[in-house]
Amino acid sequence: MAAESSVTPARERVARQHKHPVNQLFHDEATLGERVADKAATGIGSWWFLGIQSVFIAFWIVLNTIEFFTHKWDVYPFILLNLAFTIQAAFTGPVLLLSGNRQAQKDRLRLEHTAEVAEMAEKATVEILEEIERNTEATLQVLEHLKKRRTARGGAQA
Amino acid sequence: MAHRLRRTHRNPDADHKHPVNQAHYEEATTGERVADQLAAAVGSWPFIISQSALMVAWVYFNVWGIFVAHWDPYPFILLNLVLSFQATYAGPIVLLAGNRQSQKDRITLEHAADESDKGEEHITKILTEIRKNTELTLQILRELEAEPV
Repeated sequence: MAAESSVTPARERVARQHKHPVNQLFHDEATLGERVADKAATGIGSWWFLGIQSVFIAFWIVLNTIEFFTHKWDVYPFILLNLAFTIQAAFTGPVLLLSGNRQAQKDRLRLEHTAEVAEMAEKATVEILEEIERNTEATLQVLEHLKKRRTARGGAQA
Repeated sequence: MAHRLRRTHRNPDADHKHPVNQAHYEEATTGERVADQLAAAVGSWPFIISQSALMVAWVYFNVWGIFVAHWDPYPFILLNLVLSFQATYAGPIVLLAGNRQSQKDRITLEHAADESDKGEEHITKILTEIRKNTELTLQILRELEAEPV
């Protein structure tokens, strides 16, 4: 539940508001080409696109088959529609790769960031361990001091 | 830190810091390098723009071209074949790129497992050290309690 409440607003977060340095570099500082690439991938990979394409195809076929409509520009077997499909596929491939390359770029960037963070964390861990060791050393000295004092007192009392 | 990231941001040939990036990019085989370059070339704006220009030129010359033979008149069946040909190769290239990414994902997880083992080792060391410390502090307490008030 706690995770949901922190992630849900992050989903709604718009560009130029990112907190993570990788998101800042990748989204907020994207070039024009990169921005258009992201938009193209989001546009084609959406239910809107699929819906509009389906409606478009349905109209094309209906207008070219039903007797009622007189001007038929692409009769059975719809060779021009075939060309339209091919053109769509010919662009979808490269756009798919474009978007894949973007993701690969982000993955690379994220790992580089992780390496830097891990390095800092390791340094911190080593420091913590060293500090605790120093503390143990000091505590040990206190103990030894107390023991020495007791023996000295015991000697004096005897 | 951000400066280094900004420099490596758009350059897959940069000196990588993370071992997974080093293994994936700097130690890639020839086939893997070609696959990456192919994906980078086909999935780029120059490719998409040149393809569009070629398509427009094809249609233009076959409809209105005056000095050239109309080698593929309406409805452009040869253009259809050419584009189908492109799509036939684009599909496998997409998968090639996807496989590269999933390979990287696998190495990333393996590396994360190694790192988490190392982290656990560190934590165990720290815990042991704190226990030792607590033990000593308790001895001090006993020592102090034994002292005549």
